[in-house]
Amino acid sequence: MRRGLALVALTVLLGATPAPVPAPVPVTPAASPGATPAEPAVPAAAGIQSAPVVAIDGVNMVSAQDLARLLDASRFWRADVRKLVLRAPRLRITLTVDTPIAIVDDQTVRLAGSVRSRRGELFVPVSLLTALPRDSSTARLVFDPAALRVRVAPLAGYVGSPFVQTSGGVTRVVFPAERAESADVAGRSRARFRVRVPGAFAGALPDSLPEDGVVRDLRLSPAASGVIFELALAPETANFRILRDNGRVTLEFASVPTPGFERFAAEAPAGPRAVHLIVLDAGHGGIDSGTRVGTAIEKELTLQLARVLAPELERRTGARVVLTRSDDRALTQEARAEAANRARADLVLSLHFDGFPSPGAHGATVFCPPASTSDAARAGYTPLALTTWREVAVQHAVASRTLAEALSGALESHGFGPVRVRERLPVALLGVNAPGILVECSTLTSPDDLTKLLRPAGLRVLASAIADGVVAFQRDE
Amino acid sequence: MNRFPLWARIGALLLALAVFGYAGWRLWASRAPGGVVPVVAADTTQAGMRSMTLYFPDADGERLRSETREMLEQEGLHERVAQLVQALDQGPTRGAVAVLPAGTSVLHAYLDDQGLLTLDLSGAFRQSFSGGARTEELAIGSLVRTLGDNLPEVKRVLLVCGGAPLVSLGGHLPLDQPLDPHDWP
Repeated sequence: MRRGLALVALTVLLGATPAPVPAPVPVTPAASPGATPAEPAVPAAAGIQSAPVVAIDGVNMVSAQDLARLLDASRFWRADVRKLVLRAPRLRITLTVDTPIAIVDDQTVRLAGSVRSRRGELFVPVSLLTALPRDSSTARLVFDPAALRVRVAPLAGYVGSPFVQTSGGVTRVVFPAERAESADVAGRSRARFRVRVPGAFAGALPDSLPEDGVVRDLRLSPAASGVIFELALAPETANFRILRDNGRVTLEFASVPTPGFERFAAEAPAGPRAVHLIVLDAGHGGIDSGTRVGTAIEKELTLQLARVLAPELERRTGARVVLTRSDDRALTQEARAEAANRARADLVLSLHFDGFPSPGAHGATVFCPPASTSDAARAGYTPLALTTWREVAVQHAVASRTLAEALSGALESHGFGPVRVRERLPVALLGVNAPGILVECSTLTSPDDLTKLLRPAGLRVLASAIADGVVAFQRDE
Repeated sequence: MNRFPLWARIGALLLALAVFGYAGWRLWASRAPGGVVPVVAADTTQAGMRSMTLYFPDADGERLRSETREMLEQEGLHERVAQLVQALDQGPTRGAVAVLPAGTSVLHAYLDDQGLLTLDLSGAFRQSFSGGARTEELAIGSLVRTLGDNLPEVKRVLLVCGGAPLVSLGGHLPLDQPLDPHDWP
């Protein structure tokens, strides 16, 4: 008895307090939203932050930690009065354990149930969400009863389902968007006409397209800042315009030249392309070794590949091939670009090999210039949307993308996949006035890729794959 | 006959009462939720906890994945940026890959009225980098996405190194223009 008493005293004095046993509170997946005010169902959209909702004593609740995360709020716990304060830049919420009251800024809010403590975590009735301010300074939280989640409604709002209709020789693609005024054309080619819209897509693409219209395909690409609708248009489409009004974006494509409409980007005529001179740019060189894995050194591999690829391309395309460097030397980007521009290159291939900290990364990556001008110009940092000489390669974005796709298919078919295509202007194409790509042919840090490359015929097979891609581009296959 | 005198028995009783009283007070004080909800002395102090979202590439090097980290709230811009960069430098806690060049730290951070953050990083950012374009793309993406997501006032990021302009990190992607966090999904 005395020994037991001493043990308890010692335990307490050392601070190893026995964990308090919380009141038995059943936590079950919420079965019905009946305990909370009805809210409109929110469509699940990709990339939206959310948190799970659980039912505690029949009340739908969200954890206070999730609530703070969604509101981007800091948490302050006052143990003496069992209060939790969530503090966002312009919002303050005070919650008290086992009390059905919350204080939002200076207002007292009656909740659908008490704030509960469960396994060291506070849970708050989702009815609190209706009392939160609806201004742009605070994340807009909505309860989705169908999915039993609390979601952050994107500040840019939602983008709805597009529908396509044809009348009077004009094909219209119409879709609702809460920030329709910010919709922008990101790519003007007929083959890949792209419109960037802020917001999260919460809809569906049409199952079919009108046969008498000019829209051949309609796809959706997610982007962190919104979504991109990507359309393939018939070659005979004459011009286009974009209308933004009352939360709706309308794209109009005319089959005949129409006043007030805009022109598409200049495109090369379909059919075989004139490729008379190809510049091969062996990446790195000199003191810049690039990626190094054991005895495999990127600057040496790129030069070896260029030497093997040059005669292969000359033989199969009939074009003359020029190398930016034929030995181990460092070149500035200005020198590489000048070599390509002086030679009046029809194509520029910058050859590289990849490396990544994890051996799980493998395959190839092709970088090609994007169709739009620089980030700075897009953001309004320059008064005019000018294309600088630095970014002259974006003028060849359509052809470069076609080359990237052709090369991607050829590399995949020769077993160098997976191949990722990235529309991002690489350093190797700065100031290059010709269609071009940077290709990371394989990943040296991947044991499989390296083994494949270092086989006796490894570089020759790779060169053959690249030549296949260039030939496919030349023939417009 | 009792072996202990009366004063000793009273003393033992008082000691037992004191021990149980202290134990009861500790239990009452600790009834508040612990573990997940941080215990901070009082909300009048400026130290709070905040959930930060960090971006790290997955092991396949295909895309960035987010990871939530609980951090002490910082007041100044420099401290907030430095805290995020330090967390990226320490690496992920599960499954993902650290790609920020080892030893990278923040020298200075400036924010203009248009939301352009000029971030001056230590020389380790450029000197410790190794890898190809994939590593470079994901390292830059990891940095600017983390900054953009946790600092709403930051609209664009211009990276400089050691007080000097930085043309590129590994020679593959240009860094001489401001970067939009939204362009690095």
